[in-house]
Amino acid sequence: MKHTAFTIARAPHPISEIEFCGWVGQAVPGDRLEYHRGFLVLDAFPAISKLPDSDRKRLALLGGRAFWAAEAGLVHLVQERVGPDHFAYIAIARPKPKAASVSLSALLLEEAAA
Amino acid sequence: MQIELSPDDIETIIREADVAARRLRRRLRLPICDRADLGQELLVDLLRRLPAIDPTRGTIGAFAGLVLRNQSSRIAMRIHRQRRAQGGTVLSLDAPIAGGTEPLGCQLTEADGLAAWHGQGLCPAEDAELRHDLARALGDLPEDARLFCAALGQCPLRDLVARGVGSRTALYRRTSELRLDLTARGLGPAWDGFRAA
Repeated sequence: MKHTAFTIARAPHPISEIEFCGWVGQAVPGDRLEYHRGFLVLDAFPAISKLPDSDRKRLALLGGRAFWAAEAGLVHLVQERVGPDHFAYIAIARPKPKAASVSLSALLLEEAAA
Repeated sequence: MQIELSPDDIETIIREADVAARRLRRRLRLPICDRADLGQELLVDLLRRLPAIDPTRGTIGAFAGLVLRNQSSRIAMRIHRQRRAQGGTVLSLDAPIAGGTEPLGCQLTEADGLAAWHGQGLCPAEDAELRHDLARALGDLPEDARLFCAALGQCPLRDLVARGVGSRTALYRRTSELRLDLTARGLGPAWDGFRAA
């Protein structure tokens, strides 16, 4: 049986919301991105996290954005246990939802007429 | 202060300005026809500063070199700033567009739009694909985001604030959300671009 080779990417540095969205936009179904390694809930929680404040805020936004992408049907979110209290957080790209296309010109004309 | 220049001094000034203009044009990779403009700009600045020369501190050539170097830096910064605003490219009808050898002016027709004159996509197929991508992404967006997108296509954000669509802060937040949403749907900066950066 032939298996599809999926691209697996581990972010080379801590990524931001927009970088995550950029990956979602470009990924083909089955592509995987490890967007965080650690314990996401604790790492993003203000009183507990050992991360600097700017990194913690970035991580909280990233976690929220990953959840949003999953809710929008763009990715699956999974965790892989790599050690005690240590997980790899992985987004797996899903086939893009097929919605009816909207005519840009018609939309702009409607807006101009409104 | 009135200063007296000998013919040799004048020749030195013109020669130094010419050399500086050539060097600046080469470093900024500007079209050859821009050399004369650069030379004039440098020369005018040098002549304006000539009254400040102090012959006891050095020759007129040394003074000219210093003034020209400083003015060249200012011109270079101004051009780099313009290029950044234009996406890092040279905006000139005499300069070739990326990947080509012909000047942009030779590749344009009267029917080409403003975008083409600014060195953007000249390919009708790419234009059609972009429209299809936009239509698909708009179809994926929630209704309110789609209407907000259309409203932004018609007028700037400050006009929407004036029309009472929402507060300035709320609209900027929605714009930021929209940017992330569109990026996740393939319209925006791509992962490869981030990695390359």
